Amino acid sequence: MRPRPTPPQPWQPAVVDRRFLADAEAHRRDAPRFCPRCGAQMALASEFWEADDRRFYCACTGCGWSGEIIPTGEGVIGHELEH
Amino acid sequence: MLTAEQNDELTQVEAGTPMGEVLRRYWYPVAFTRELAEFPVKRVELLGEFFALWRTPSGRYGIIPEPCPHRKASMAYGLVEEDGLRCPYHGWKFDTDGACIDQPAEKDSTNFKDRVRATAGKVEELGGLIWAYIGPEPAPLLPRFDVYVMDGFRDIGWADLPCNYVQIMENAVDPHHVEWLHGRYFEFIGRHEGFTAPASFGKQHVRIGFDTFEWGIIKRRVLKGATEENDDWKVGHPLVFPYNMRVGGGGIHQMQIRVPINRTTTRFMLYTVHAPEGYEPVEQAAIPDYQIPVFDERGNHVVNYVEGQDIMAWVTQGPITDRTTEHLGRSDIGIALLRKMFREQMARVAEGKDPIGTIREPHERIDLPCEIDKFHAGGAQFALDFCEMGSTRFSPMLDTIKKIHVRAAEQARKDKAAGRTPYTPVGGFGGATLAPGASAQVDSGPLS
Repeated sequence: MRPRPTPPQPWQPAVVDRRFLADAEAHRRDAPRFCPRCGAQMALASEFWEADDRRFYCACTGCGWSGEIIPTGEGVIGHELEH
Repeated sequence: MLTAEQNDELTQVEAGTPMGEVLRRYWYPVAFTRELAEFPVKRVELLGEFFALWRTPSGRYGIIPEPCPHRKASMAYGLVEEDGLRCPYHGWKFDTDGACIDQPAEKDSTNFKDRVRATAGKVEELGGLIWAYIGPEPAPLLPRFDVYVMDGFRDIGWADLPCNYVQIMENAVDPHHVEWLHGRYFEFIGRHEGFTAPASFGKQHVRIGFDTFEWGIIKRRVLKGATEENDDWKVGHPLVFPYNMRVGGGGIHQMQIRVPINRTTTRFMLYTVHAPEGYEPVEQAAIPDYQIPVFDERGNHVVNYVEGQDIMAWVTQGPITDRTTEHLGRSDIGIALLRKMFREQMARVAEGKDPIGTIREPHERIDLPCEIDKFHAGGAQFALDFCEMGSTRFSPMLDTIKKIHVRAAEQARKDKAAGRTPYTPVGGFGGATLAPGASAQVDSGPLS
């Protein structure tokens, strides 16, 4: 039998970057949990920022769907027509 | 930004973890061929486990876990014999399949030895490297990527780095860093140390894109002054999942190898083949390997060469970068794509399927897409910058390599002037491209 090494310890940051703990908490709170197509648990939601947006690049390994989900808050912004 | 649990899962390498199980579906270089020629048994660490690797007098290779199944002494101190590796402590012997074939102090009449098997991996030699597979049966075939089998002049630089391999792989899908880390930062260091950094590395990115393909992810870029018809976009170069990146240009062909030794140690290797247009073969009795510097005598990173700059950026992120407090932007979309690929392969392996890039069909050579005219810098100039400003600077073969490129360029020029076709090595140069007109699946669009 191949010897089984000690089970890996859960990852902990070597140094906690306290400047951004609120961002980490917001990510944990808001990252999409379920696939919008099949409802399965979302496999991965990588958050990135663009201007004022928080965008989540999501992947569902259940049905293969992937896409970006962007929380909008209460407001909905349309585009401004040429005038 | 990821959760702590996702960062944990992504960066694991150990057996029994989702990512550790994915990683165990691939072959890894674990020694230089010359090492076992010099001494026939070596202790190696791979994916957080220790092994004894050996070569028999007739040239067969074996790998088994380091502890002897008898009383756990190290088999890496074993006696190499023609039919196996014998433990130095009490003489138990194991063959390359892991079968115990001798227990000198036990009676011949028992079946004891049939009940203690050392789980053996598979070992092959290719391109001056010894490769091991330590995952479940049936083992996939060792992929014969172009750089390992093509004609050309070779050397191998390496360093062991104190960080997780994933942060190194994320660098492979981060085109913008070249313009800053190897461009502006290189110029800054050059001004202070009295050298001129290569201009081609500082060109501004105006578009980036990524395509998943059968071996991983192809990275593309359009640099200022170029178009989508230049090699940097039309061809690009690939991250070869899960631990390689194929790069090159100017007659240089290189696999950047990042072997996860354990969770926070990565062996970084630069397997380089010099085969410019006009190259004429130079004899090599053995492929030289050389260690590249990471830290100077004061403990600071050595940042006056390209890979030293990369290493600084990888290692200073910490042993495992904290992805819970990072801030990705749109320009980091390649990193998000790679993380998705890692997660998808975990799911495939959990379902009992082969992950991406495992091959089971016999093959002679796998050509990977890679730019010929890198950074539209011109072949010979890029090659000389590569030699002077990159890790090749530390190669014991530097002078020979520079002569190869200068002579090849001169020969190719003469041949073309005379209407002759310049010498092309058997097997070509490894210039595979995507289908004509292919566009990037993940595309920044114009950046300005």
